[in-house]
Amino acid sequence: MIGIEHYLILSGIIFTIGIAGVITSRSVLKVLLSLELLLAASNLSFVAFSRYNGDYAGQAIVFFVIIVAAAEVAIGLAIIVLMYRHLNTIQADELKDMKW
Amino acid sequence: MPSLFFYFFALIMVLASMLVVLSRNPLYNVLGLVVAIFSLSSLFILLEAFFVGIILLMVYAGAVLIFFLFVVMCLNLNDPVFTTPQQSRFKLLGWFTALMFLLELFLAVKSYVGALGLAPSSIRGTIEAIGRVLFTEYLLPFELTSFLLLIALFGIVSLAKGALSSGIEEKKI
Repeated sequence: MIGIEHYLILSGIIFTIGIAGVITSRSVLKVLLSLELLLAASNLSFVAFSRYNGDYAGQAIVFFVIIVAAAEVAIGLAIIVLMYRHLNTIQADELKDMKW
Repeated sequence: MPSLFFYFFALIMVLASMLVVLSRNPLYNVLGLVVAIFSLSSLFILLEAFFVGIILLMVYAGAVLIFFLFVVMCLNLNDPVFTTPQQSRFKLLGWFTALMFLLELFLAVKSYVGALGLAPSSIRGTIEAIGRVLFTEYLLPFELTSFLLLIALFGIVSLAKGALSSGIEEKKI
């Protein structure tokens, strides 16, 4: 049987890739996708701890995280579509105005 | 045998995540995330969290990422923005920060696991068990998420309405 540390290290690797994606990518769409990776990594930790502690709370929290991520993605993608229509690009550097 | 499955899906998940971050084509980014979520769901099922694994597959891979795909299809992928290589000023700094974070996390996990020595329990995340927890202990947060979804709906409608009305004004001018 695999120990919990395998799952935690895998979760850490995915989280690291996600953080690197958030910092280095210039396209807003890619930043949003990397944020999804961060949420996926934390979900993996939650489920691993739930299994190894014998507590259902971790899996219930993953359920809530999925709901919050769905709401976040819906708003974020609406903003991306609006940005593309107004500025004709989705590069984060082009967002210079506070109001359009 | 379970360890073989674990290493297989872990490898696929890491490769797909690298595709999400490194590929320049937005379509490949989204499809890489679909593969990553699929292998994450497989890992959940390996951990006997059946309900959460299936929900992840249906809601994430089925709905959220297809929504992403719609938005990518709305963008013009022949735009020079997508075809020319992008040089981010933060590339080196970003990867350095991320690797430092990984090292720190590795040390934390190493000290933690030795101290506690957790063993796998026999809980199974079936619909019945998760439903029982959601509707007793976590009833208030569960009801509050409906408000969260309602507020998200309001936000999207107001964004879309703003876009429509500004479009009409532009046409009048």
